[in-house]
Amino acid sequence: MARTKEVTIVTYRDIFQDQEKAKDRYTQEYQDLSALIVLDQSDMKLIGAEDGDLVLVENEWGSVVVKAKLSEEEDSHSGIAFMPNSPWSNQIVSGDTGGSGIPDFKKVVAKVSSSEGDVITLRDLAEQMKV
Amino acid sequence: MSICTGCSLLCDDIEVELEEEGIGTTKNLCRKGQGHYESLGVERLAPSVDGAEVSLDEAISKAAEILSEAEKPLLFGWGNSTLEAQIVGIELAKKLGAVIDDTSSFCQGYLMEKILKGEYPTCMLDDVRNLADVLVYWGSDPSSSHPRHMSRFSYFPRGDEKRQRGYEEDRNAIVVDVRVSPTVEIAKSGFFKVLPGGDSEFIDALMTALSGKIPKVKDKKKMLGLGTTLKKAEYGVIFPGLGLIYSLKDEIDRLDPLVAKLNEVSEYKVIPMVGHYNMRGFNQTLLEETGHINRVSFKDGVEHGPQFAITEFLEKCDAVVVVGSDPASSLPAAVAKKLAKVPTIVIDPHHNMTTELAKVTIPSAISGLEAGGSALRMDGLKVEFEPVVESGYLSDAEILARIKEAV
Repeated sequence: MARTKEVTIVTYRDIFQDQEKAKDRYTQEYQDLSALIVLDQSDMKLIGAEDGDLVLVENEWGSVVVKAKLSEEEDSHSGIAFMPNSPWSNQIVSGDTGGSGIPDFKKVVAKVSSSEGDVITLRDLAEQMKV
Repeated sequence: MSICTGCSLLCDDIEVELEEEGIGTTKNLCRKGQGHYESLGVERLAPSVDGAEVSLDEAISKAAEILSEAEKPLLFGWGNSTLEAQIVGIELAKKLGAVIDDTSSFCQGYLMEKILKGEYPTCMLDDVRNLADVLVYWGSDPSSSHPRHMSRFSYFPRGDEKRQRGYEEDRNAIVVDVRVSPTVEIAKSGFFKVLPGGDSEFIDALMTALSGKIPKVKDKKKMLGLGTTLKKAEYGVIFPGLGLIYSLKDEIDRLDPLVAKLNEVSEYKVIPMVGHYNMRGFNQTLLEETGHINRVSFKDGVEHGPQFAITEFLEKCDAVVVVGSDPASSLPAAVAKKLAKVPTIVIDPHHNMTTELAKVTIPSAISGLEAGGSALRMDGLKVEFEPVVESGYLSDAEILARIKEAV
């Protein structure tokens, strides 16, 4: 059975991803720059993933397969992961704002594990929302 | 010179050479602006109803028909619209008795209201360039979100009279963030790392340090040093970003005493890092009209509250108009999928996830590139712009006016 690690995910903005988003969000490049999770080395090791491997990120709100990216930060941040703000990260952001109207985009608790699945395309994400 | 409507800096020094097919060489655009300009020829939207292409007139008629029949319509978007389109949008909401909301509802709303109501001291970006010696990027990462913020206004440029010696000597950049962002890489010595949701504790520690007491944090010396730096400032500016807002959430008002305290010890201003090029414009226009910056219902006079936030009202509405925005991408999927359950009308230059869920799509000109108008920069400066290229697309103001006439 795949080993899982619970992490708190903080979403962020990336200029290279934003450039693609402004130009054309249907490109492979936009998907590659968006559908990823930055993990600490120890967390990567724990789930048996290496830089560039696909991982499943899931919680009660949904699940999504993205690429694992090894963190470049000098200090360890085990248990904290980062995802570019995108339709992929939004699959696991809570829909319950507690009446405040502001979703928890920057404190998403989810489990991460190795995955054999594929990264879903933007068009398929939209199709999925129609169901 | 042209204006870039790629973000709320509204850079006004863009040089464009036109070629037969459209835009050729450009100068001074950042990566984001480059993407914005290149979007001219990419994934342009066509008028459609139920996924089938129709004429523009048919799409507008269908939109008007849906809105005329709706009892609880929601009009959303507005951050990427001109002031002129926003005014028509608010008039349309009034005529329909609709709920109107914008992206500030789930980002900079609280802070923008404080600014627009004069409850937080603020200043112009040119004052930042000329006067500011201490800059606090809190939960913001201008290197990624507003790439020319630091080079045109806040950190690198020299001022006209003060701040003449260059940023190494004249400016002190503080960055409070949960991650080592590209802005942290620029201002490493001023980096304060917080844990997710840890900004509230950081405020406590900073308030203690500013009062000259020992803060209850691991690195007391560093926090006391920050207190001293902030106290010594001649002219400080805080640039709050989404990191701070989403971290504090319901406790966002905890920033109020800190802003007040900083203005006891020195002079501090606040400029929220607004994303969309004219979000501030919408907030100000709606405030002047209703006394509120977002989340307004015109059903029975003017009502306001979190129940009219898009995240909450999507559940209750029976039709949606989305103007220049892509909530299907930017909201949690669990909320955004409701867009597929109600008739959604999208007015936008491009295909996006929301257009894929929409019943009616109406293509519009890209404002700033194909349509002129005016907007408010993140600091409130009114910027007017002319179209850079000609196109056959109607502006969103014109489309909204036609819908308003037809309902």
